[in-house]
Amino acid sequence: MKIRRTDPHTLLGAYALDALTGADRARFGRHLGMCESCRQEARGLQEATGRLAAAAIAQPPDRLRERVFAAAAQTRQLPPLTRETSAWPGRRWGMAVACGLFAVALAFGGIAINTQHRLSQEQAHAGAIAAVLNAPDATMMVARAVDGGTATVVMSHLDSALVFTAAKLPALPSSERYQLWLMGSGRARPEGMLPALHQGVTAPMVVKGLAAGDEVGLTVEPAGGAEHPTSRPILLLSLPS
Amino acid sequence: MDSQPWPSPGDREEGQRRPARGQPPGPGGDLGALLARVARGDQPAFEAVYDSVAGQVFGVARSVLRDPAQAEEVAQEVLLEVWRTASRFDAGRGSGTAWVMMLAHRRAVDRVRSRQASSEREIRASAPDIDYDVVAETVEGRLDAERVRKCLGALTELQRESITLAYYGGYTYREVAGLLEVAVGTVKTRMRDGLIRLRDCLGVDW
Repeated sequence: MKIRRTDPHTLLGAYALDALTGADRARFGRHLGMCESCRQEARGLQEATGRLAAAAIAQPPDRLRERVFAAAAQTRQLPPLTRETSAWPGRRWGMAVACGLFAVALAFGGIAINTQHRLSQEQAHAGAIAAVLNAPDATMMVARAVDGGTATVVMSHLDSALVFTAAKLPALPSSERYQLWLMGSGRARPEGMLPALHQGVTAPMVVKGLAAGDEVGLTVEPAGGAEHPTSRPILLLSLPS
Repeated sequence: MDSQPWPSPGDREEGQRRPARGQPPGPGGDLGALLARVARGDQPAFEAVYDSVAGQVFGVARSVLRDPAQAEEVAQEVLLEVWRTASRFDAGRGSGTAWVMMLAHRRAVDRVRSRQASSEREIRASAPDIDYDVVAETVEGRLDAERVRKCLGALTELQRESITLAYYGGYTYREVAGLLEVAVGTVKTRMRDGLIRLRDCLGVDW
């Protein structure tokens, strides 16, 4: 297919209508990250599309109400984003921490990466990380693993991607490694083995193709990796929608 | 027929928003304050939010998915998501209603497209039976819905069709271009300038 360069602003309407998919959406997300006036316009257009729902109103069955409240009674609510884990508008502070952390992780991870990957791959990887960190909707989350250690996740809906790094996870015997998964809707998608820890920090991993309802999970698996999780996640993090 | 994407006129009375308790937002009012209370686990506030948005959430899901059973599932997921993630709603970035409806529309559209990925959704040669007049019919007498209808009516035909196919039909802009047999670029621009007109007509303040 021929790719033509067009003014990305024209995609604002389609974006606000959820009429963009995959590559278009990611590309537009990157543009939004660089364009404050676009973000403002997107907000206004999203308010307008939100109003369209009024014309589709329909009476849901009564059982919906019962089910929602029953489910809510058994569902823990997400805590608010605190200063350290803040998205917008305290985001700059949080992002500075995240960027610092990833820089450290990259520096350590770089030692391992250098020996096995071509430079271009490294650059693509760094580019993918930068895209998520710089996305206008980048949100940072920190989760604690059950046996100690923390995971830091920065995600962007616009990019449908997240960056994952872990720190201070307990050391594993050489026959085992940590494996990252996208879980949710009753399935688990393997997202790769966690790179070795260097001074307690793993090199960042990029996970793409996030879908609504996904959760990030970390399990201990045989060193070669598994197709499906074979143990309970030591860490499970729900991604905000 | 069951597959009718819109509520029949008979559903209309029941389908109206009926905030039951708490301090529900008035028509066109915002949910922001209620969502802040929901974030603190306030059940009555959540009930008020439910009463305020459930009809729209279910309606949007049914409009996009067509299948009432699936629409119900999606509506349940979305409303639970509102409960679970209320703390992440940021009043500085938009209204509560827009936030909830964004969750609803996106999830309905994601469901359609993930299904589509496994079995290619057939794109009908002619426009699907998302009938603009039916939209208008179901909102008669309701203030905000009436305003939406009026504002949609003020658009050019191509703007209106592009927007309604994408929003109520859940089609991508490329699919919309296919359905309307116009260039992709044309659809993109019509969506944008149509929404700008819609935004101004609705008096959206963002």
